[in-house]
Order: sequence, then structure tokens, then C-alpha cells
Amino acid sequence: MEPGAGEDSSTDDYELLISTTDAELLKRSWRNEKAAPEILKFEAALVQRSREQIHLMEETVEEFTRNAVDPLTVSLYQMDLDRTLFLLRSYLRTRLQKIEKYVLHIQKTTELWNRLSKQEQKFAVRSVGDLTQHLEQSVLTKLPDQYQSHLKQSGASEDDDMVPEPKLDTYIICRSKKFLGAFQLDDSGEEPVNIEADDLYALPYKSIKPLVESGQIDLV
Amino acid sequence: MYGKKASELVKEFVSCEPGQLTTFNNVLFAQVIEECNGHLLHLQPLMRKIQEHENKLKDNRRSEDEMAISEDEKRKSEAEKILIQTAMKSDQFGALIHHLSLVRNKRCLMAYVYNRAEVIRSLGWVVDCVLPEEIEEKLNSSEKEYFKNHAATLQSYMSELDLDLTVDMVPPKDPYVKVRVLDDIGEVVLSDQVANLARHAMLFLRRTDAEQYISQGLMEELTG
Repeated sequence: MEPGAGEDSSTDDYELLISTTDAELLKRSWRNEKAAPEILKFEAALVQRSREQIHLMEETVEEFTRNAVDPLTVSLYQMDLDRTLFLLRSYLRTRLQKIEKYVLHIQKTTELWNRLSKQEQKFAVRSVGDLTQHLEQSVLTKLPDQYQSHLKQSGASEDDDMVPEPKLDTYIICRSKKFLGAFQLDDSGEEPVNIEADDLYALPYKSIKPLVESGQIDLV
Repeated sequence: MYGKKASELVKEFVSCEPGQLTTFNNVLFAQVIEECNGHLLHLQPLMRKIQEHENKLKDNRRSEDEMAISEDEKRKSEAEKILIQTAMKSDQFGALIHHLSLVRNKRCLMAYVYNRAEVIRSLGWVVDCVLPEEIEEKLNSSEKEYFKNHAATLQSYMSELDLDLTVDMVPPKDPYVKVRVLDDIGEVVLSDQVANLARHAMLFLRRTDAEQYISQGLMEELTG
């Protein structure tokens, strides 16, 4: 029993260590970003650290190739480097594509705007300019006066009804790491759902939005 | 029928494969715009007439309140009021139909242009700055400008970050890939070697280098 118990605690420690490495955190942020219908908070510190580590790895690989270390080792390091680079690039790319798609909505909502990094905000501003100019050139200037807004359908509309918004009630598959107990899905009076650890659930994104933000639930 | 041509335009966009574009249908587009202008021509006099009716009703009401009038005259002004209101209602309905058709046409046109713009944006991720000819001839002049602006915006973001986001579209399986060159490119300096990319040459290239050429169609990847 003793060695068994010892092994158990060491695998627990190992898992704890693994789950907090930057690579694991990056993988987690990447998965969440890919699965969520709206844009999530930008992990500035994580991205910065990952880039520094990638830089370090590149220098190490170069040194190895110069000192003619065993090519298998070099290609293993190179593989690891490539995979981390891919995660980082894909994370930034997914965010950028989400921004492109919903740029008018993001500009209007301060909460979403604050989730972008400084460079992303600059990108969003330019992208809005490009899109508005294109729409105006091809369609809006040819229409009568009251109908020339790209945000409202006509002068008589009260809200900006021509802005596409992300669908927040799409179902997504998620898993929680800890037992969260009875969780009230929404105010429609349905029964609360028991969220256990490591079980997969398919839930509407809207109901678990606060949990995703606080990091208690992972999207798969 | 109002709105038929606009829905034809939208159907045309939907009928081609997702991610592909048909030639920008200038003719149909101009026809829909003409229809909108026609609606406007109908709408403006109707709105004016409605305004006139409203003014007449106001005058009617004011004259009822101010002057002391006999039973007969009161009955006459009531009849007048009803006439004016019926005329105004028919004008209002006509104006509403023109307004709604106009709004629907606007929505169809915007949807057409916006969705094409989305396809163009996704092109900007695959191709760098220069569009292949077959695609370029399908675009409107405004769309070509939008593509250039969008590519420039992407480039400025990537240069700020100092990271190229257009490579690595697929998760990497091997650091090096075997490729066959399809077109003569000549001597090229790659990240770790100087290669002579002659036609039909088979080479081992770094994945990130090869991706650029593969997406342009100048090389093909050899699997297995």
C-alpha cells in the first residue's frame, strides 16, 4: 500500500506541475478561444512569456546545430518549438478572425473592447474603417438619404440593427476540473444541473459564461 | 414584384460553393438600386401628402375648438375629418410598403456585399498581396480596393507583433516536409539552406518555408 500511495501522490504532484506550465496554459487558452462564440480576454502575460521561451528555444536549437549535436535531439527540440509556435500563432489567428467577423459589435460594447490587446484594438479600428469605406462605396452612397447608415436600417430605426452579433446561446462542450455542485443554468426556472469534475457537458455558452471567465470550466 | 430582384441577387451568392465567388453581378445590382430610387420617388410625394393631411386635420381641430359653430357645421367638419383620415390612411399604407421594400432591398444589397467581403477576407489569409487572375476578374473595383486595404491592415498587425500569422495553418506533424516543385522559381534563400527550385525537383524543406509556396500553388507536398 505504501509505495502505491506514494505513487498516487507523486502523479498528483506531476499533474499539478504539468497543468501550470506555460505550454499547458497556452493549450488551454487556445482551446477555449477556438470553442467560444465570442472573443475572450487576451492573455497578455502568457503570450509574452511564451514568446520569450520560444526565442530561447530557437537559440538553443541553433547552438545545437552549430555544435553538431545528434540530429535526432535537434529535430526533437525543433518539433517542440514548432508545436509551441503553432499554438501561439493559431491562438492569435483565431482571435483576429473573430475580431474581423464581429468588429462593429466589438467596437460598440466596451466590455468586449477591453478584452483586446493594444495591437488588436489598432487592427480593429483599421478594419472597421476599411469595411465601412467598402460598404459605402459599393452600396450606401447609391441609396436615398435616410437609408445611408451602415449601422441602422433606416433613419426611423431606433437601435443599430444592422450590426451582426455573435450567437451567445450556441451549445458548447465543456468539462470542469472540480466539483461545482448544483448550478442554476438560467432564470427560466429549470432544475439546477450538477456539475461534477471531469465529466463532459453540452451546455449553452450563455449560462456558463461567468464560469469560463473565472477559469473554473474548460471548453473542449 | 418588389424585392424579387434583390432576392435573386442573394440567391446567386448562396448558389455558388461556400468560399468561392461568382463574378460581381453589376447588372442585377444596378437594377436593384434603380428599384430603390423608384421607391423613393413614390415615397416622397406620399410623405408630403400625409403631412398635408395632418396639417388639415390640425386646422380642422383648431377651428372646432376656437370658434363656436352650429350643429350643422359640426357635422360637416366631422365628415371632413373622416374623409381626410381615410385618405391619410391609404397614403400611410402606401408609404409603409415603399419604406419596407426599400429597407428589404437595402438589407439584400448589404448582405450580398458583406458576405462577399467575408470571402475576400478569408482569401487575405491564404494569399499574400497579389490575387491570382481568375479571382481578380470576379471582383468589383471596390472589392479589389477592400482586399488591398485588408491585406495591408493584416500586415501592419503582424509586423507590430513581429510574428507571421499566415504560416502554420495546419498543426505540424514533421519539422521537414518533402515537396515537389511545380514551377521554375530559381535560386531561393530559405531559413536554413540555399535551394535551387527547378521544375520537378524533389526537396526536403522546412515546413514554414514550404507552406508559402504550397499555398500559391507553386509546389506540392509529397505524402507517403
